[in-house]
Amino acid sequence: MSGTLDGLQVGESAEIIDISSDCTRAGRMSTLGFIPGRRVTVTRLAPLGDPISVEIDGQEISLRRAEASLIKVK
Amino acid sequence: MTMATLDSKKSSLSSNTLPLVALVGNPNTGKSTLFNRLTGLRQHIANYPGVTVEKKSGLLRIGHQDLDLLDLPGCYNLTAVSRDERVVMDVLGGRHGLRRPDLLVFVVDASNLKRNLLLASQCAELGIPAIMALNQCDAAKRNGIHIDTVLLAKQFGIPVVETVATRGRGVDDLKSAIVNALCNPSFLPRIQWPECIAKGCQVLQTGVKDLGGDGVTQAEALRVLFDNDSVFTCGISDKICLKKMVDAAHQDIRGLGLSPGSAEAVLHYRHLESLLDGVVTTSGSVARSHESIDAILLHRVWGTLIFFVVMYVVFQSLYSWAGPLMDLIDTVTGMAQGFLSPLLENMPVLQSLICGGIISGVGGVLIFLPQILILFFFISLLEDTGYMARAAFLVDKLFSWCGLNGRSFVPLLSSYACAIPGVMAARTLSDPKARLTTILMAPFMSCSARLPVYILLIGTFIEPRYGAFAAGWALFAMHFIGLALALPLAWLLNTFFLKIKPQPFILEMPDYRVPTLRNIFHRMWERGREFVLRAGTVILAFSIIIWCLLYFPRNPSVAEKVRADFSAPSASALSNNALEHRIESAYIEQSYLGRFGKAVQPVFEPAGFDWKITVGVLSSFPAREVIIATMGIIYNLGADVDEGSEDLRTILQNEKWTSGPRVGQPVYTLPVVIGIMVFFALCMQCGATVAIIARELDWRWATFSFFGMTTLAWISAVVIYQIGKLF
Ligand SMILES: Nc1nc2c(ncn2[C@@H]2O[C@H](COP(=O)(O)OP(=O)(O)O)[C@@H](O)[C@H]2O)c(=O)[nH]1
Repeated sequence: MSGTLDGLQVGESAEIIDISSDCTRAGRMSTLGFIPGRRVTVTRLAPLGDPISVEIDGQEISLRRAEASLIKVK
Repeated sequence: MTMATLDSKKSSLSSNTLPLVALVGNPNTGKSTLFNRLTGLRQHIANYPGVTVEKKSGLLRIGHQDLDLLDLPGCYNLTAVSRDERVVMDVLGGRHGLRRPDLLVFVVDASNLKRNLLLASQCAELGIPAIMALNQCDAAKRNGIHIDTVLLAKQFGIPVVETVATRGRGVDDLKSAIVNALCNPSFLPRIQWPECIAKGCQVLQTGVKDLGGDGVTQAEALRVLFDNDSVFTCGISDKICLKKMVDAAHQDIRGLGLSPGSAEAVLHYRHLESLLDGVVTTSGSVARSHESIDAILLHRVWGTLIFFVVMYVVFQSLYSWAGPLMDLIDTVTGMAQGFLSPLLENMPVLQSLICGGIISGVGGVLIFLPQILILFFFISLLEDTGYMARAAFLVDKLFSWCGLNGRSFVPLLSSYACAIPGVMAARTLSDPKARLTTILMAPFMSCSARLPVYILLIGTFIEPRYGAFAAGWALFAMHFIGLALALPLAWLLNTFFLKIKPQPFILEMPDYRVPTLRNIFHRMWERGREFVLRAGTVILAFSIIIWCLLYFPRNPSVAEKVRADFSAPSASALSNNALEHRIESAYIEQSYLGRFGKAVQPVFEPAGFDWKITVGVLSSFPAREVIIATMGIIYNLGADVDEGSEDLRTILQNEKWTSGPRVGQPVYTLPVVIGIMVFFALCMQCGATVAIIARELDWRWATFSFFGMTTLAWISAVVIYQIGKLF
């Protein structure tokens, strides 16, 4: 099953397949650790539902749903 | 060290004789802390030419050797889409007259080695000698992360020094490593690019040149390859041809099974993983210290509640606790004036210039210091504990729709006390676009200097007629209107006018840390000093110019005429004091600013303002709080009235038009009163804010903000009056 990172529930984890975005944005996100093959876990949502906070490679990172929806996971 | 020796040092620095050492690293690694440790107070803050990025440099003294130390802006990678981001690449490449460093000190967070080293791996392309400061070793140890420093140094081929910047541990070792490295340079291992990327870079290097761009180095060609709209292609008109070349290279990258967006990071991470093999060991389960705290601080209900409590404390301290200090500065200013004034009795012009222009100008600069210092105390505290990133996470949604982000909250909130610290606080936003928007919106927040106007007008016209309840609502509405207009304006600005691309709002949640007082006080000192030296001088200049406009031409015949009028047999007797007030009022009317006010009164006619209101409004452009004093002068009560003055209130209530179509009617009708208040709420009547925006962004934005807000304020006042007239 594949979807995007913003489709995951809190506590769920998945493996990153790709970032479907322009190079610059994909480049910025991938430097922060969002690279294909890594596992990411959604740890919590902000009180208003956006942004979301995820754990990747031992770090906790928050990102908006708009960006999370660019990250394809399985 | 005294200023004089510091200055002589600076000039010797600029003669380019000292080796240049640059600190490079991700945000939040402890770069600034280390920089402060290394330079002490011998540092200097400026801007890089043409951009709004702060350039921090300082003198590093090691034994008898002096070095020039540069703190490069913290960044995660070398991506350069905006001119602001380009700075790091430009320094490292020695472009645009910037000096290329002789040595790079990579400051890396030991808890997050791999991600931190990605930047180093990118910088390796530039072939500058390097060493590594492995910082925050204490925190890494606590988290159960062990790093084999010897192996790390061997694998990367450069010296590695363990440091704990907050405690100053390892700083001496780092100093000797710097001196050694300048004599015996060593270099980071370069990544082996796959054939097709290396070839793609070569093609782009020649391509960019052929298409008329500036020549690019291999490292810059990589930026052209991996960033769309790289700044390094801005000289090129034939973007289509360039795009073809880039697309061809991207096709080759896809052939390797990588996607062009993430290929660079993937390859660097692979490179780093092979180098880091065996360097990092984690003992047992890595304790995530912040997990349990986050469960509360980021909780839907408790987290939100705590957020508001924290922000309330910050706001209260700015709004109320700064008061006594500001009063003290006022008192001291008053004392200085009271002391000097009699000494200069015989030289009225000089007396007025020194007391009215210079001293009150200096006082007008220092008056901002308490709020700036208090705000930066809290900002440092919130940043250093790690709470600021969480606060931004909690409220980001409120701002994201209009191009701001969660980090805009503190600057906007503090602007309710005063826009000056608010604008300065926007530094905490790393995205240039969001920072720009936040700065432009800050002056819309109703600062405490607007309060006296609201109190005077609401107390005079609304409370007596409509009761305390309506008065309360009116006061609230005045505080809300700026915000209600600012956010949609931010949206408009971002959607239609700003061509800069926003950066994705991705926040790293740092570990919770115990803040150090040393860091906090350093930040307060740095900001306070910068404000006084950089913005303060401009504010002072403004204040003197305005004094001139209000004082001159000061023809003595004005005073004589007033005296003659009131000594005429038919005139009613007037006390000496009242006569002085009349003369003062007549002088203002005759001053350049007064004449200007009369001349532009027609502009404010559609808002229902008479010339007195117009002069009041105009004279409050340098600082809106002077409106009350100006009104006191204009209405013959003298300058020392306040917003509670019963005399002033009675005069305002009874003020009638003396000429024109509305002769005999009251001047201050409800639409006029509301119009004035809204005008004050929306207008940029603050020279200090203009100066600080010019300082933080540039003069073009300051001018834009000034005229934009003034126009908006005028339109609103006119609309309110014209609609009000219909009823
Ligand atoms: N535990 C620990 N904290 C540190 C160390 N160095 C810096 N910090 C903290 O890390 C945070 C970020 O430091 P700062 O110098 O502002 O980082 P910069 O963004 O890289 O300039 C601050 O809260 C510092 O107090 C260190 O060696 N150990």
